[in-house]
Amino acid sequence: MIVRGLFLLAVVVAPLAAATIEGRVALPKARATPVVNQRYEIVAKAGVLSTNPPVAVVYLEGPFPRPATPPVASILQKDLTFVPALLPVQAGTRVEFPNLDDTFHNVFSFSPAKRFDLGRYRADERPVPGVLFDTPGMVTLRCDVHEHMRALILVLDTPYFAITAADGTFRLTGLPPGRHTLRAWIDSKQTKAHAVDLAAGAALRVDFP
Amino acid sequence: MKPLCLIACLLIAPAVPRAADDFFDRLGEALTFSASEGRIRARVSGLLDLEVYDLQHPAAPGVIDTKDRRLFAPRLTTFLDAQLGPRTYAFAQLRVDRGFDPEASDLRVRFDEYVLRLAPWGGRRLSLQLGKFATVVGNWVNRHGAWTDPFIVAPLPYDHLTPLWDTQAAPASATLLRWGHVRPGLLATTEAVEKDRRFPIVWGPSYAIGAAASGQVGYFRYAAEAKLGSLSSRPDAWSHPAEQINHPTVNVRLGWRPSPMWDFGVSASDGVYLREYAGVSVPAGLSRASYRQRVIAHDVAFAWRHVQVWAEIYATRFEIPRIGDGDTIAGYTELRYKFTPQFSGALRWGRQIYGTIPHLGERVRWGREVSRFELAPAFRFTPHVQLKLHGGLQRGDSGARATSRTLASQLTMRF
Repeated sequence: MIVRGLFLLAVVVAPLAAATIEGRVALPKARATPVVNQRYEIVAKAGVLSTNPPVAVVYLEGPFPRPATPPVASILQKDLTFVPALLPVQAGTRVEFPNLDDTFHNVFSFSPAKRFDLGRYRADERPVPGVLFDTPGMVTLRCDVHEHMRALILVLDTPYFAITAADGTFRLTGLPPGRHTLRAWIDSKQTKAHAVDLAAGAALRVDFP
Repeated sequence: MKPLCLIACLLIAPAVPRAADDFFDRLGEALTFSASEGRIRARVSGLLDLEVYDLQHPAAPGVIDTKDRRLFAPRLTTFLDAQLGPRTYAFAQLRVDRGFDPEASDLRVRFDEYVLRLAPWGGRRLSLQLGKFATVVGNWVNRHGAWTDPFIVAPLPYDHLTPLWDTQAAPASATLLRWGHVRPGLLATTEAVEKDRRFPIVWGPSYAIGAAASGQVGYFRYAAEAKLGSLSSRPDAWSHPAEQINHPTVNVRLGWRPSPMWDFGVSASDGVYLREYAGVSVPAGLSRASYRQRVIAHDVAFAWRHVQVWAEIYATRFEIPRIGDGDTIAGYTELRYKFTPQFSGALRWGRQIYGTIPHLGERVRWGREVSRFELAPAFRFTPHVQLKLHGGLQRGDSGARATSRTLASQLTMRF
């Protein structure tokens, strides 16, 4: 009876105690849209590639406990582009790489945080090839067939992260109270940090100029 | 000095720090230009190759032209790719090297390709292109760059020299047999000298000037081109298009790609193989137009996971007036496998056989048959730095040797 009471208390009170941070990250200039190398393609796949405006990842620095069962995320290979181009995941997440194009791709990474090569596979192959990302760090994805294709997976030791909007704004909710470091990953060379002291139910504003 | 180059290649490669990877990515971004909200964009990219060959003499196999046992062949290749709206694409390839094929000469600068391609109705049904570009025949062209080709030396049909000369019309069967070393009479050591006269079935990617139409309808792909140079024409001829203005070569390929795993193709070619200045050796009553190269080629490619397989077979007829038809068939099978994300290996076996021509009342094979086995391990230190080794063993048509070997290493930096 006491246990059930404590559980109910936790369920009701925990969301009230969770803190929120919102703010804005100053983002770098947009990169030029890549050019598809079609030198020896008999069939031109012209068109305009989808653009990936710069965004940042804001996260509450860990370590926090990993999930019991690995969450699953995905990065699509669509129109000769990785979508999304930046994916933050908690360490222990499995990421799948569906190929939605009618041509082969070959996803690979030489990054120390995860070195793998999925080879070439058809769009209809099941299960969709994927990789477990269990070591925190930055993983650069590339395609061995299309040299312009590139994406990043940011493997974090925390479940508390968010991708900014294209204007740099972000909102993190459900954060645990306590003293933490809030980080904004902007690119491989730039990560900004801000110490935060989160009270239960607090709402903070943090900007990364 | 030359062995030092090989050692240097082997030492430099692992020493390239991983930080350079990030540098190459940033360099790539700095060399990408975009305007009109991405509708107009261009990118400069390139490859720096440091190649070292260790050859057996006399007569290094193929189109490699040197009297030295070892040859250092550096090459800087820069590409410009430009997309102008959804329907127009252009690219150019500029090289600085010691010759199109490895040779002992000074560095020189050369535009190997420049192309303007237009898809008049958008989509994939039809593309038109004009310029100086690789042939549509076969499937080796798609992977012939230093980064994508598992080997350093081109496959047999693109590299092995036939007995025919493009500088002189063969006057009699005895002469042709002497050129092919089938009959005694010519020192094998002179073969190296003949390298500037003989030619393979297809000379490399055949970057001749021309115009092409290509497209895709369902699972089928088609391509047709008119080029100012036969498939076998040498790189020097590609720079003299006026020679062939009255004798354009027509090449076609029809491909069937039922899935991304499989690609089947059949190609055909018809052109004149004699150079213009060989006209003086053409017998009276004939013209260069009588010296034709006719080719039927089949190609197949397969890929799945870490395996890639390619095979091509070229059936070629060289029409040789007053002698007969010189038929030859060359083909190869190539397998590449990625053992780990960074380490891969490739095997290739190729063979070229010759038909017969009439000579003194009998039928005589007009060339020496040749087999070649090649092995090429490769390691990618980063997505921008690769080291490739190549070992080849060739039996037949090697001058004084029945068997000859070629060793090569190639360090490539891609930016």
